[in-house]
Amino acid sequence: MFCNDFYKRFYVDEQAAEKIGFNPYYIEVESGLDEWIRMEGRDIIDLASNNYLGLAADIRLKNAIITAVEKYGASLCGTPVSTGYIDLFKTLEKELSDFIGLEDTVILPSCYQANIGLFVSIARKNDLVIVDRFAHSSLIQGAKAVGCKIRPFLHNDMEYLERLLKRSHDYIQVFVVTESVFSTDGTIAPLREINELCRHYNALPIIDDSHGIGVLGNEGKGILDAQNIHDFNGIYTASLGKAFANSGGVICGKKEIIKYLRYYCPHLVYSTSVTPSVLAGIKAVLKIIRNDSGVLKNKLYLYKNILYDSLVEAGFDTVSSPAPINSIRTGSRENTIATAKKLYEKGILSTPFIEPSVPINEGRIRFIAGINLSETAIEQGSEIIKRINQT
Amino acid sequence: MDFEDRIIAALNKSLGRKTEIKLESRLKEDLLCDSFDTLMIISALEDEFSIEIDEGNFSDIITVKDIVHKLRSAID
Repeated sequence: MFCNDFYKRFYVDEQAAEKIGFNPYYIEVESGLDEWIRMEGRDIIDLASNNYLGLAADIRLKNAIITAVEKYGASLCGTPVSTGYIDLFKTLEKELSDFIGLEDTVILPSCYQANIGLFVSIARKNDLVIVDRFAHSSLIQGAKAVGCKIRPFLHNDMEYLERLLKRSHDYIQVFVVTESVFSTDGTIAPLREINELCRHYNALPIIDDSHGIGVLGNEGKGILDAQNIHDFNGIYTASLGKAFANSGGVICGKKEIIKYLRYYCPHLVYSTSVTPSVLAGIKAVLKIIRNDSGVLKNKLYLYKNILYDSLVEAGFDTVSSPAPINSIRTGSRENTIATAKKLYEKGILSTPFIEPSVPINEGRIRFIAGINLSETAIEQGSEIIKRINQT
Repeated sequence: MDFEDRIIAALNKSLGRKTEIKLESRLKEDLLCDSFDTLMIISALEDEFSIEIDEGNFSDIITVKDIVHKLRSAID
């Protein structure tokens, strides 16, 4: 065959899935994220999506999106530097900046693009990127693309981080990169301490608040508000496809850097602009969060705690988390997939993590209970979990 | 602590594995190190020996003993 050797490169290791008789990835979903989701002809309890605030199928969001589509159409068919920068785009940048508490914002088609585009635009070969061991792949890929030195520190270990900072004086610029909420286990970064260390050692903090925005802090304003950080000189990124129930990603920070990114970030400048429907959807979510954040968060943590108690009662090795995330340690990829299979067969969709998303033999299964789920669904899910190891 | 013990201690600190780390341990097969673990090891060794290590020089490392040889020649 033509280019036979080339095509041999593309081997996907599905041995564990074949052995267990279940592939938990790319299962077709036949509905939206309603109270139940429909998969393979069955109604399933969704404990897998990042729909924390349950807004993905909210009627207020749908109406805002429909109105925007009627006014602007489906697409802007251009990048933000050309036809993509509609008035809605500009006002939303301002609203997001005010909400997060930083000077300015750019909106990109995804946070993955935002993180990679950020490093490609601001880092140089002789810079050092110090990154938490468990930070998201997108935060490392950009630094790798630039070719600057990357040094990881043990997860949330401030002594380790400071040791690295102490011997980082030979680099032109040092960045300290982490996430607010680590999505696999739900641990939260001590950003206040990181920010202070960065000030002391003249390093620039970069925080990805994808699992914090909409959830942490007063009115869901995110990690900066949650940890009372008012002097943040660094760069903030976040996904708008999780609690914000839309898509896209933001980069926020000082005016001068955001202005630079508007012209020189290739992932923004050369990508078709986010659609009017997404912009309108994000704007609608901001309004809902401002009005109802307290109620939404109470329910979110109530559901989290109910599920946590069930996981403990079932005998799972649970990870303690201050975020609205429940996670269990499942070891090998075979056991991780087998556990996800048992849950799925009983009517629960969970998120299994196997290597390379987690270190080898440190598999996890994560559960996020969005508040669109009814109390009945949570009770049923809880009962399923309690009995799952008895069958 | 002798040279080998310092390296093993640095590996223990950076990897946090329950498996006992010996000179014969293979990074991938025995200690289940991925590419990020390798960066953690390099970082810990730089910290322990106050040196700069180019990760390109680590690409042919298979066992802990290989690290000992590589570092000894770099430091001597």
